[in-house]
Amino acid sequence: MIATVITLIARRLLAAIPILLIVSALLFCLLRTLPVDPAAMSLPPNATIAEIEAKRREMGLDRPLPEQYVIWLHGALHGDLGQSIQLRRPAGSLVTATLPATIQLAVAAMVIAGALGFGGGLLLFHLRGTMLEPVADLVSILLLSIPEFLWGLILLFVFGVLLRALPFTGEVAPGLPVPHISGFLLIDSLLIGHPDVFYSACRHLVLPATALGLAFSPTIMRVLRSSLFDVYHEEYIQQARLRGLSERQVLLGHALKNAALPTLTLAGVQFGILFSGTLLVEVIYSYPGMGNLMVDAVRNADLPLIQAIGLTYCIVVLLINTAVDSLYLVLNPKLRVR
Amino acid sequence: MPIDLPRRTLLQLMAGLGLAAPLGRIAAADTNAATIGWPNDVPTWDPNQRFTPDAQPIFKAVFDQPLNQDPQLKLIPSLVKAWELAPDALSMAVELRDDVTFHNGEKMTTADFRYSFLDRVRSGLKLDIANSMKKVQDIVIESPTKAVMKFDSPAPTMPQWLAFLGSYVVPKNYIESQGLDNFLKKPVGTGPYKLAEYELNSRIVLERNDKYWGPPAKIARITIQIIKDPSARVAAIQSGQVDCTINIPVREAQRFGAEAELAAEINPITRVIMLNVRADLAFADENVRLAAHHAIDKSALSKAFYGGAAVPLSVLATPGTPGFIEDFTFKYDPALAKQLLAKSNFGPTHPVKIGLATTNGQFPSDYDIARAIVQMWKNVGIEADLQVIEYAKYFELNRGGKLPEATLYSWDNATGDPEIFLGYQLNPKMPFSPWKDEDIGNKVLALFNVADYNKRIAGYRDLERYAVEKGASMPLLQSVVTVVRKKNLAYQRYGNGWLLPQTLRWG
Repeated sequence: MIATVITLIARRLLAAIPILLIVSALLFCLLRTLPVDPAAMSLPPNATIAEIEAKRREMGLDRPLPEQYVIWLHGALHGDLGQSIQLRRPAGSLVTATLPATIQLAVAAMVIAGALGFGGGLLLFHLRGTMLEPVADLVSILLLSIPEFLWGLILLFVFGVLLRALPFTGEVAPGLPVPHISGFLLIDSLLIGHPDVFYSACRHLVLPATALGLAFSPTIMRVLRSSLFDVYHEEYIQQARLRGLSERQVLLGHALKNAALPTLTLAGVQFGILFSGTLLVEVIYSYPGMGNLMVDAVRNADLPLIQAIGLTYCIVVLLINTAVDSLYLVLNPKLRVR
Repeated sequence: MPIDLPRRTLLQLMAGLGLAAPLGRIAAADTNAATIGWPNDVPTWDPNQRFTPDAQPIFKAVFDQPLNQDPQLKLIPSLVKAWELAPDALSMAVELRDDVTFHNGEKMTTADFRYSFLDRVRSGLKLDIANSMKKVQDIVIESPTKAVMKFDSPAPTMPQWLAFLGSYVVPKNYIESQGLDNFLKKPVGTGPYKLAEYELNSRIVLERNDKYWGPPAKIARITIQIIKDPSARVAAIQSGQVDCTINIPVREAQRFGAEAELAAEINPITRVIMLNVRADLAFADENVRLAAHHAIDKSALSKAFYGGAAVPLSVLATPGTPGFIEDFTFKYDPALAKQLLAKSNFGPTHPVKIGLATTNGQFPSDYDIARAIVQMWKNVGIEADLQVIEYAKYFELNRGGKLPEATLYSWDNATGDPEIFLGYQLNPKMPFSPWKDEDIGNKVLALFNVADYNKRIAGYRDLERYAVEKGASMPLLQSVVTVVRKKNLAYQRYGNGWLLPQTLRWG
């Protein structure tokens, strides 16, 4: 089994190379065709038109697009993703400084989405044929129609402003130190033996992660319910019942295992989407992740930084898909036989 | 049935659930600390590097400028205790204080001054002050406290620039010995606060510099929480997670003004909202330009979008600044606008067609103001096609001559000097103005070399009036900044909108 998984990962990583090249080229061309002037944005307001022209030449913006891309690609292959125009720092270092916070947020959100999705899916299935089924359906559709940024605002208002129960700005309370070891605050706070920082970081994570999780849980919920419906028509469910197993044992011991596989695939895809959904949630909660950085980069037409963050999103999504496929392979013996 | 729960038990329960922490924080407010909700992070910790108006109050907490401005924006001494611009504006003698030390204990001298404004610029570093200091040919050090700045052409606004964007004195020895990267990680200035902690896009923690040469800051520890979303800033001040915040929507500030524990101000500042216009296309016709200006009811815009706090402007300068002309008013007169259009054979039934570009969200209510202007123009016979552009695209569109006849624009000038208002806006060599016309362009360029202060200011005042009367300049409103704070947290109000951490005090 391990060999099969390793082969799959290797194959996926090889396939990722042309994908990344195509994505980076598309992104590069798209950004360069936008009617923005990175040269003017990189100079102070009192720069003259002549100085802006000189800057354009210095930045290579007067060269043909393919040549500009080759120069960028050469740098990228050597670990240089360019210099942020606005922040005057290497775009790569900005990405690595903010990526852990976004990963931490996305993972926490996925855990919440998974818990709510599986719990809700089981509840929806349990309510099938009852008078409460239409109500449950309506609630799940309602949840599905609320995007993550709206959840962000609702939770912020209810738990932050109205109840004043949870903090909603930043990553940790003022006055507490922020350790820098791995970049993952939850891990770092434990590594330095600061449970107060860990506790504060958890509290700061609750609202943004829940906002993201709530937005993605209804899809998981509904797919799980549909899968359970399908699975319940299979013969082995009837046989399990004939063997005298209770409905609970049938559901948890047989049906759920099989219904979870398509749900897992969907959760993998959702995780990629959820990752990009961090953008607005990070801004609303002043969470210092890559999404927050991206919003600034777009606002300032910081093309090298947009390119670096865009490419990072692409890499993360490819890695997530590979991980999900590997997991799927582990969980589904039929695929290993093929 | 009501549950009879003892208060102590309730608090214990809440503490267990993690709910009591914020309440406790509010109850035990630390008067030696304050948290500010700030809309933007600093772009970098090299204060010479980027011209970012919103970051100036933060830089001014950690670093000092050679000159400073008082709340009415008058130039006052700072690190430079005396200065004298030569009559030909080709040199300026400066005398530094001799009691200033950097946060690392090193004494600040003219060597640091020269390093900040000449050596660094010449070293090829990408610094924005390379532009403001480009006339600096040399800085001759006469003693540790005396130096003379030499310019290659008249630099009449050099004193203003020494108190403006990017002009901060940085430590020569520290940067040279530790390297720029270390300076950026652990910046050292001479300011009233030391940088204690920095988290990109998250928070800045400042600790009082107890050896500061000037009046010490009243609050020992300031946490600047970066909250970019205006709604989140509103929520943060409302929930008590910050003690003070700025730049929230005007209607929210008005609402907070009625609350018992909060105070809110809507302060007019040295920022002008205007229409940047072209001299060609449909605006080649002066009648059309003047009609477009006469048709705009600026008071109505102020009332509708800024609670009446934004002052309607007739010239490209704000009240109280040297270029402002008290007795000049450009009237709101839709009847006159119609007459002017009729002279060019246009009217409500046969409207002149123009384009109006605006940003959406670049400054408060920008898009709504543009929509209101379109409606006002429609009433007199101007049909405007409203286009939304990104601020970042403005320069590219202007460079390619692709901006429409008018563009809604906001211009910030903390110095209040008319060169940085009208002088920059109508300078044909600069990237802002779509107005390309030799008559006004040459008049502006000539003023850049006038050394005598009074003559220069008089020249700008004449030109401001002339530009408005020709339809080349269409100022609309003096912009505002909103400040909401806990009632017992006071601050010093500045005419340019600065909220300086060192002026905050509880009491």
